[in-house]
Order: sequence, then C-alpha cells, then structure tokens
Amino acid sequence: MATINGSDVKKLVVACDAGMGSSVMLASTLRKQLVKNNVTVEHTPVNSIPADADVVVCHSGLAARARAGAPDKIIVPFQVFLGDPAVTKVVKAIQTGADING
Amino acid sequence: MSTYTPQVQGSGFRAGVQRIGGHLAGMVMPNIGAFIAWGLITALFIPTGWIPNEGLAQLVDPMIKYLLPILIGYTGGRIVHGQRGAVVGAVATMGVIVGAEMPMFIGAMIMGPLAAFVLKMFDKLIEGRVRPGFEMLVDNFSAGIIGGAFALLAKWIIGPVTQNIMTLLGNGVDWLVDLGVLPAVSILVEPAKVLFLNNAINHGVFTPLGVQQVAENGKSIMFMIESNPGPGLGLLLAYFFFGPKLLRPSTPAAMIIHFFGGIHEIYFPYVLMKPRLILATMAGGAAGVTTFMITGAGLVASPSPGSIFAYAAVTPKGAGNWIGMIAGILIAAAVSFVVAAALLGFGRLKEDQEVDDSSAEALGAEPADGATKHDSPAVARNSSPEPGTA
Repeated sequence: MATINGSDVKKLVVACDAGMGSSVMLASTLRKQLVKNNVTVEHTPVNSIPADADVVVCHSGLAARARAGAPDKIIVPFQVFLGDPAVTKVVKAIQTGADING
Repeated sequence: MSTYTPQVQGSGFRAGVQRIGGHLAGMVMPNIGAFIAWGLITALFIPTGWIPNEGLAQLVDPMIKYLLPILIGYTGGRIVHGQRGAVVGAVATMGVIVGAEMPMFIGAMIMGPLAAFVLKMFDKLIEGRVRPGFEMLVDNFSAGIIGGAFALLAKWIIGPVTQNIMTLLGNGVDWLVDLGVLPAVSILVEPAKVLFLNNAINHGVFTPLGVQQVAENGKSIMFMIESNPGPGLGLLLAYFFFGPKLLRPSTPAAMIIHFFGGIHEIYFPYVLMKPRLILATMAGGAAGVTTFMITGAGLVASPSPGSIFAYAAVTPKGAGNWIGMIAGILIAAAVSFVVAAALLGFGRLKEDQEVDDSSAEALGAEPADGATKHDSPAVARNSSPEPGTA
C-alpha cells in the first residue's frame, strides 16, 4: 500500500467520468484551499490520469476504474462532493505534511 | 461499507460497463459545444424557427452531416492514439458519412477509434526499425494509407451496416413512443445514472438518437430523458426536509449545484447511501418523461450540463415546448420529492435519522463531536475495502 508525505505532493488530480463536470467543481475548490502549498490541482477523466500525478481523488463509484488505469498511483476515494472527510484529510495532510495512504 | 453502493452483478462488470460507456461519452462530450452551436443555429434559422432565414439555414445540413460526425471520429481517434489517431479517425469517418444517407454518429464512434487502433498497431510494429531520416516519410504515408483504406472500408461496409442499425434503433424508439412505454425507460436510466453511467447513457445513446430526430422533426424528447434535473431536485428537497439531520445542512448547496449548475453527480451519493430512494428518482423520471410526451415537448440539442439554464437555452420556439419543458421538470421534481419523503418516513422513522451504514457517519461533513475519532473509512480502505475493488 503506497504512502506519500503531504509535503511531497506536487500534483493532485481530481478524476471523474468525463473530466468535465464534477471533477472541475471539486478541483476548483481544492485549488483555492491549496493555493499556498505550491500544489498543482488538475481535473481529468478517470480513464486518463496523467503519469505525473502524485495523488488522485475520485468518487468511490469510479475508484475501480481509476485503479485499473493508474495502478501505481495513490488513489483516495470519496463519497460526497461537498466536504467529504476523505478529501478534507488529503488537504490537511498536504498543508501539514502528514502522510497520505492510498 | 458494503451497503453504501448497491452491488450490481460484481463490480468488475460495473467498472467494465462504465469504461466502455466512458469511451463513448468521451468521444461526444468534448464536442458538446459544437452540438449546441448546431442546435442553436437550427432553432433560430429553420423555417419554423425564431427568425427564419433561408441563407443562414444552409449551415444546418452540412454541420450535422459532416462537422459533428467528423469531430466525434477525430476525438475517438485521439483517445486511442493521440494526434495521429485523430487524423486517421477523421479520414475514416468521412467514409461512413458518404456511405450512409443519415447523420452518422454511431459509425463515427466505431470508425474513429478503429482506424486509430490499427495505426497504433502499425506504429508499434515498425518502432525502431525505420532508418534515420525516413521517419517523416513513413509516418505520413502510413497514416495516409491506413486512413484512406479505412475510409474505403467504411464507405463500402460500415456505412451501410450502421445505417441499418441506426434505422432499427430509430424504429425501436418510435415504437416505444407509439406504445407509450417511453416513461418505463426511466426505470433503467435512473439506477444506471447513479452508478455513474449518466454520461455514457446520455451522450453515448440519447444524444446521437436525439440529433437524428432534430434533423427530421426539429426537436427531440431523447435529450430530456436522462438530463431532467427534476428527479434529483425532488430527492434533495426530500433530504432537506426529512433526511438524516446530519445531512440536511449540505443539501441547499447541492441543490444549487445540481439544478442551476447542472452537475447531477452531486446527488448520486444521497441515493447511494439509501439505495431504496432510487424508487423516488425512477418515479420522478418516469413522471417527467410522461409529461414531456403528453405535451409534445422536445429540445433542439443536448442540454449539457443538465441545468435549468441549459434547458432554457435549447428549448425551441413555441409556447407548448416551453410549458411542456417546465411542467415536465416540475412534475418530476414533485413526484420524486413525494416518493422520497414517504420513503424517508417524513422524517419520523427513528432509524432513518441515522444513515444506513457506518461509513456514512462521516458524511455529515461536520466533524464536530467525536466524528473525527473514527478513521475515515474512505481513506483507510485497508480495513474496509471499497465496493468496486473486488
């Protein structure tokens, strides 16, 4: 099980089915929260997660596809699009340099 | 955790269907802008449009016959094999367009990726074997020859075959409409939607069928089956009044994002955490489709994202179209609200004030009292495997 320290995260990817709707929404929220942390936040379709992603967050209903497409990435599934604790935990980890398990 | 997401015939199957559907939608969705441009031009300038104009209406036919399928074939090729795949995909799509007499979306969805895939195989085969200095020659002519060959193949075989398939599908839809059972389609669509097959269904199936109907009749109900924001709105309203107390505060924002922003994904988790509520969106969806059918409502292009603003933008001229559109959304919302409220026991069922399973304790979004001491199950998936990984 992969682990990364929050301070080593350079690129956070938010993935959804088309990479055009819900992921854009969540990515813009996270970008605002992480503006001071020098982290790139991108949104992509779950089928094309970029190779240089450090951490991927996506809805748990899509996590199987994310893992199939990017088996070596740290994938954090979440359940609700607004204020999910799993996502909050990733943000906190990046801000404070705690570990993220995927 | 296990009850969080309804189990559907093994999650490997579900992910597989999602992936295939995702590819179909992935060819259409980046091009929605072009579909909307075509829909607006059609709604404005055709003889029955807002400002009929014969000269400008000349744009309508070439756009649907050539531009839109070629964009789909191009994008499909690009998904498989980058820019080179996109080029051969577009060339091959030209074959189906000329080989058939109707707008060829399904054909484009087949030929674009297929031609790109063959080029990809070829590129792999010759990788490292081309003498220095000849790369450009080989690259250009391999793409040209493969693209051209697939255009011919498409003209002779794929075009006519897909034309027959499309005619069959179109007849099937007409048959469903004539029989009056179109609302029953919601029984399949609404559950598939919350399993994140929403884009696959809407843009992989309904958009191509709908565009064809618009070309024939000037509007189509196909665009309104999956994208109706009513059922989701009703469900969220029911949660707001009668849902678990922990979840109520998060629903107003979700309603705004869903109904005005058109991002339906926002309500899926609310169904997934209490799967029986799927009955509410099914009933709401069916009521909406029934209303659209009775009033003869239709849209000129896919309202994407499924926001009330997008609906208004692609509703054609005519009071009946507007009344039908608004009534269908409101009735869908009302039915979905009533059914969801009843299923939630109007807030009186005690066990319903808890969310169905332990994972959802975290969903309240307020880690105020004690919620923080639980490890979030979504992160610690070692101890509680996600549905979908098995």
